[in-house]
Amino acid sequence: MSTNRFFPRIERHAAATPLHARRWMPVVLGIVCALAATGPRRAHAADMSAPPACQALQAKYPQFKGKTLVNALNPHTPGYEALDPKDPSKYVGFDVDLGEAIGKCLGFSVGYKPVAFAALLTTLQAGQADFVISDIYATKERAKAADFITYSKVFDGVLVAKGNPKKITGINTSMCGAAAAENTGFVEVPLVQNLAGPCKAAGKPVPTLQLYDNNAQCIQAILAGRADTYVNDVNTVDQAVKAYPDKLAKAVAVTLPYSVGIAVPKSRPDLRDAMVAALSALQKAGVEKALLVKWSLGAGHEEAPRLVTE
Amino acid sequence: MELFLHYLSLPYLLRGIGFTLEVTALGLAGGLLLGLVLASMQLSRFRLLSAFARAYAVVFRGTPLILQLVFAYDALPHIGLMLSAVAAAGLALSANEAPFIAEMLRSGVRAIDPGQVAAGQALGMTPVVLMHRIIAPQAIRAMVPALGNEAVTALKNSSLASVIAVPELTLRSTQLASSTFDFFSIFFASGVMYLVLTGAFSVLQLVIEALLDLDRPGPRQILARLLPWRRAPAATAEQAPEAAAAPMRVAAALTDRAARVAALARRPAAVEVRGLRKRYGEHAVFGGLDLTVRSGEVVALLGPSGSGKSTLLRCINRLETWDAGAVRVGGRYLGQREDGKPLSAREVARERTSVGVGMVFQQFNLFSHLSALENVAGPLRWVYGKSKSDAQRRARELLERVGLAHRADALPRHLSGGQQQRVAIARALAPSPSVLLLDEPTSALDPELVSEVLEVIRRLALEDGLTMIISTHQLRFAQEVADRVVFLSEGCVTEEGLAHEVLTHPRHPLTARFLQVMNADRPLEIPA
Repeated sequence: MSTNRFFPRIERHAAATPLHARRWMPVVLGIVCALAATGPRRAHAADMSAPPACQALQAKYPQFKGKTLVNALNPHTPGYEALDPKDPSKYVGFDVDLGEAIGKCLGFSVGYKPVAFAALLTTLQAGQADFVISDIYATKERAKAADFITYSKVFDGVLVAKGNPKKITGINTSMCGAAAAENTGFVEVPLVQNLAGPCKAAGKPVPTLQLYDNNAQCIQAILAGRADTYVNDVNTVDQAVKAYPDKLAKAVAVTLPYSVGIAVPKSRPDLRDAMVAALSALQKAGVEKALLVKWSLGAGHEEAPRLVTE
Repeated sequence: MELFLHYLSLPYLLRGIGFTLEVTALGLAGGLLLGLVLASMQLSRFRLLSAFARAYAVVFRGTPLILQLVFAYDALPHIGLMLSAVAAAGLALSANEAPFIAEMLRSGVRAIDPGQVAAGQALGMTPVVLMHRIIAPQAIRAMVPALGNEAVTALKNSSLASVIAVPELTLRSTQLASSTFDFFSIFFASGVMYLVLTGAFSVLQLVIEALLDLDRPGPRQILARLLPWRRAPAATAEQAPEAAAAPMRVAAALTDRAARVAALARRPAAVEVRGLRKRYGEHAVFGGLDLTVRSGEVVALLGPSGSGKSTLLRCINRLETWDAGAVRVGGRYLGQREDGKPLSAREVARERTSVGVGMVFQQFNLFSHLSALENVAGPLRWVYGKSKSDAQRRARELLERVGLAHRADALPRHLSGGQQQRVAIARALAPSPSVLLLDEPTSALDPELVSEVLEVIRRLALEDGLTMIISTHQLRFAQEVADRVVFLSEGCVTEEGLAHEVLTHPRHPLTARFLQVMNADRPLEIPA
């Protein structure tokens, strides 16, 4: 059992009677921690206590306090954002916890809007969401549509059928002639497309791309034998291998020169600044590292907040 | 299997059905409303309106629903219209359904026999009454299967709302599949849920079809069928002889023709046609036709096919427009203000009822969704504001007069042609018109059914003293019943005069030739 399942209850409580709740919270949290003995202890300790710096931030950015801000997400990435299989009415994952922690720090509660990956930034631009924390890489291209605040490094994994029949060793000429499944809008798409030149130069067929709407469809494409590989975040790849240990394998892990970022509308610099400040406070207090550990992503993924803008 | 059953009963997925139905309902309701508007725009006389409706159909039928959804959700906020996900999905689905539904409505309306529309107009129905009582009830019946189809399509299309974050069944299924990796059990479960929903829609469609079925047995008949020893007595009445059609010696009553003609000449004009001109493109129908019919006079219009007999009758009733000239009925210009400007369809309808012109059509044109009784009683209620009991009493009286009291509850399609025409005559007589126009009332009838209709008309002439203009090919009937015969040829009156004289001693060569041909066809009808 993980503590985050208790979060919403506390959140609701806090929203209803904030002063009262703040006094209460340590008691409640203590009980929760004691009960939830199976979860990683450090995560609990870090999760629960909003860093003292947050008080000052709530005073500095009072406009978010008590509000509900909407997080647009593509909830098809277990570990980052997906439905809780035990209670599908909730979203769970590292990104979800981080968003909730930022919300708690700035005094807002988080609503969710599930959309296709390719529609994340469109939804933000349309004003249908306030921010995006959905394992989206902060690239210069995407920074044309929104401002990004980095929070995590990127490690990708190469998912293949068990035994790696095509002998794929990374995003390189070993993929020539292979069929790669990818999500529409993923940064891996151009990386695979860029192999066309080297493959031709080597006298090999170029890799073909199959674009899908979500993670599950990409994995199904490999299971069905339609695709040979799927390159995505290493944790996602690990989750898929865990789900189908007899059929899937991780060929290799690759490092990509990107960072994962929180997207905020360009029109709302105050929200961007508040988020940067809150994220810094959370990192300083060890909250993000604790969450990374809780979701088995590795504390080394943490990256200091940096703006990626156009 | 266990997983499948688990997901089939998972409240999270079941709650998605609520959103699926909400979006579908919004889409269908909005689509129906918008479709109604589009269909009426397309059917309207105004070019601009119909052009706009067509352009709308081209755009919204020609682009994928998924683009329309994304547009409603992501583009509209940029112009300040921030809709919730469900509302945006409802809007996009409505906009997408509307042109399809509009086409169904339009084809449903166009499938209505134009003769029934003309009959309704001739009875003085305004466009609204005509739509409400005659066109819509029949069009809706014809459209139910197509609308059922469309409802199922809309339900399935609602799954596309998943791309704009509507938490409906498909979105919930895909998210759940991503988080649990139970891809197939989840999609089988949601597939079964969709099947149950579409199945329910199909059942609903069948129930509605059955409820609207005109041949549906009434509760009493169902009882009779369930309890076979209780035989309804209705069967014997069906075979009752049609009493009224007994021939009468009408001709004898009309013998004193000279006196009658003299009396008629002193009567005021019931119908006056002056200088009537009309052309269909190159073809001139009337080149300045004149005709006067006195009150109480019975005039037979004779002439070869295409000579303009039907068109003339339809002009008198303002079912047709004309290019020049004037038509006055009961001293009033029908369809025109005193200053010559045309009246609206609604005003023409009101004029028709106040002047009192009834019309009987060659093809009967009974309202096919109404019983014989309702064909007669309905217009009395809807146009003349009679109470239900008054209208029914009058209708029964008239059906009795035409010898069809025992067929009052029959639908037109269960009546013979002769019976239908007799109901049509009763319907035309119900509002007590001052002028009755009969457009080849027996031409569409099998020969053995002609006499029963002619007999009814004969008695009208004799007993009611009704002003009648009858276009006919029945020379002997014309001679017996008509005071005067008017012979039309190529849109002109070539000869007119007392029936007996014109038919026995035609002066104009065209009349002579026509009579010769007619008599050659019917040697038994040679006039004495």
